[in-house]
Amino acid sequence: MNKTLVVAQWEYVEKVRSKAFLIGLFLTPMIIVAMGVLPGLLADKENETTKVIGIVDATGELAQPLARRMERYTLSNGQPNYLTRFVAVGTTINLPAAIRDADSMVERGELDGYILLDLRGRKDTTVEYRSKTAGDIRLVNRLGEHVRNILSERRLIARGIDPSILDDLRVPIELRTVKIAAGEQEETDFVKTFFSAYIFIMAMFFLIFTSGQLLVRSVLEEKSNRIVEVLVSSCTPKELMFGKVLGLSAMGLTQMAFWALIALAVLGKVGSTAFPPVEQILLMVVFFILGYLFYSAIFIAFGSPVTTEQEAQQLNGYLVLFVILPVALVLPVMQHPDADWVKVLTFIPLLTPTFMALRIPVQMPSTGEILGAIALLIAATYLMMIAAGRIFRVAILATGKRPSLAEIWSWVREG
Amino acid sequence: MLKASHLRKDFTAVRAVDDVSFEVKRGAIFGLLGRNGAGKTTTIRMVLNILKPDAGTVTFDGLPFSERTRNLVGYVPEERGLYRKSTLLDTILYFARLRGMSGALARSEALRWLDRFSLRPYAQRKVEELSKGNQQKVQFIIAIIHNPQLVVLDEPFSGLDPVNQILLNDIFLELKQQNKAIIFSTHQMDQAERLSDALCLIDRGKVVLNGLLRDVKKQYGKNSIHLEYAGDGTFLRLLNGIKNVMVSENSAELHMEDGANPQTILSQIVGKLEIRKFEVHEPSLHSIFLHAVGEQELMA
Repeated sequence: MNKTLVVAQWEYVEKVRSKAFLIGLFLTPMIIVAMGVLPGLLADKENETTKVIGIVDATGELAQPLARRMERYTLSNGQPNYLTRFVAVGTTINLPAAIRDADSMVERGELDGYILLDLRGRKDTTVEYRSKTAGDIRLVNRLGEHVRNILSERRLIARGIDPSILDDLRVPIELRTVKIAAGEQEETDFVKTFFSAYIFIMAMFFLIFTSGQLLVRSVLEEKSNRIVEVLVSSCTPKELMFGKVLGLSAMGLTQMAFWALIALAVLGKVGSTAFPPVEQILLMVVFFILGYLFYSAIFIAFGSPVTTEQEAQQLNGYLVLFVILPVALVLPVMQHPDADWVKVLTFIPLLTPTFMALRIPVQMPSTGEILGAIALLIAATYLMMIAAGRIFRVAILATGKRPSLAEIWSWVREG
Repeated sequence: MLKASHLRKDFTAVRAVDDVSFEVKRGAIFGLLGRNGAGKTTTIRMVLNILKPDAGTVTFDGLPFSERTRNLVGYVPEERGLYRKSTLLDTILYFARLRGMSGALARSEALRWLDRFSLRPYAQRKVEELSKGNQQKVQFIIAIIHNPQLVVLDEPFSGLDPVNQILLNDIFLELKQQNKAIIFSTHQMDQAERLSDALCLIDRGKVVLNGLLRDVKKQYGKNSIHLEYAGDGTFLRLLNGIKNVMVSENSAELHMEDGANPQTILSQIVGKLEIRKFEVHEPSLHSIFLHAVGEQELMA
């Protein structure tokens, strides 16, 4: 058997068998689920208690109808969702004193919060909801909605119009965006597109980071116990390097495939219609593989000269920056897939895979651009791999002090 | 079988190996000697094609290093370690297959060697659970499992427990009987003297002595006296006809000047010490080493 494959098999089997891998395999989805579900559960819990809302109404007219409407909401157990309490209502109230009272009631916990209605001398209407926490979006929306309705109805009545007309006027609309692509119309949903591109990028960087880190670790181990000398007397450094990349990539893919299966099993029933067309998927796969190889080469180039565990951790810190950069640009790129700056940046190899992955689902770049980007990425990956191979060959035998950048560069040049 | 010609290797600011040539024959144990840092490990790495020489060539049976050659050599590096978390059997199989063995053959050979070294019960244990001595055995298995024609061991005796020293001795002799070539490096001259058929002494990257052990010794002639005694031997340094003296507790190694007569030397000692043994013999490799390196030092 080819020695590259022997190395790959070893790296794969040894890592997949390790406890760390098994723990990661099950723990990671559990953490993700916990992070995704727990806040929701807690928030729901919060919504399952009755809240006491105070009303300070300087108009004297709004408190009654607002209280009536708010008290219509019930919790799932039949209890009212909100109880209202008139703190000060009437045109003659001393507003600063009322606010002081209400504030101290919130402070003491007698009220969850209170709404301040003061329309005097103003054309626009400002309504304040004051509470210790500003987080209950649903409550704020409901209050705003009802105050607006009550005011609208009052104005209609004042002009002698039947307020029930308001219900007819409120036409419910749903905004759909339609992407126009040559000759066909397809509905797109920005959120869905965003997530498919986002998942692509996250998957790629996840793979790069897990396998990249393991690569640096395994080189470090072999360097420190000098096994590497036996290895490179058995096979070429190139076989060793590619074997490692291959084996650890396969490990990363195994992990992702396992999680994808879990995700499918959990989310199976939820809309599976969001699959992009085949040619898009194929292109994404091309950029995924090239991008992965390019970044792997970077990891090898910078990771193999590392001589201690601390340095390896520091290095990871720096490499994260490489990765954060494209992720930080996700939104602007998706909003302006056409912009000149996006087109220019697409041709920086570090950004090519991410930018293409972002642009393809939103608006297919021209064929020329796609071919150019693929050619560029292949060339860049090839050069980076050669450089990485040269560094790897020298670095695996070097121990002691970490080599300077100048030294590393001289290894690349000397070949 | 192996021929190294005019090897040279420079590291930043240091010439680690300078014009080193030697030949290793089948059925012979070849000792690569020198102090720490003399250039032994660098030479070995060039022989094994781990490092590229800046000048010079290495050939196996007249052919340059190739993919085929890789499977014909076995290697035990100086600082020895293994994958701590992997099992014994897996580790051995991995290295065997990296030397081109098929999976099935690697397995049967691995089990045979584990049996031979009484490690069979540990086959499925992790390397880190093993004693240091047993880990050393695994290193040897890895170096010889694929039936190599040349086995290279860098400082194999350093840090070896006495039981494994005997084991390694046996392996050396067995490989020699099988007409294989063995290179081992050491800075312990007594090891080299006991084992090697031929040797190459390197100091500061340069060859100082090279050839068959008996030729090297003959070159220095029968000019040494081994003395065992009781009493105060400090005056031995002042004897006439003696070039230099190494005095240890109750014994001494005396090097005679050319043409000196052992009898006159003996007569100078009689009466001053209680002599238990007086023997004229070839110099030990140790004293040859010191002598040769000393000459180098004077020339430098």
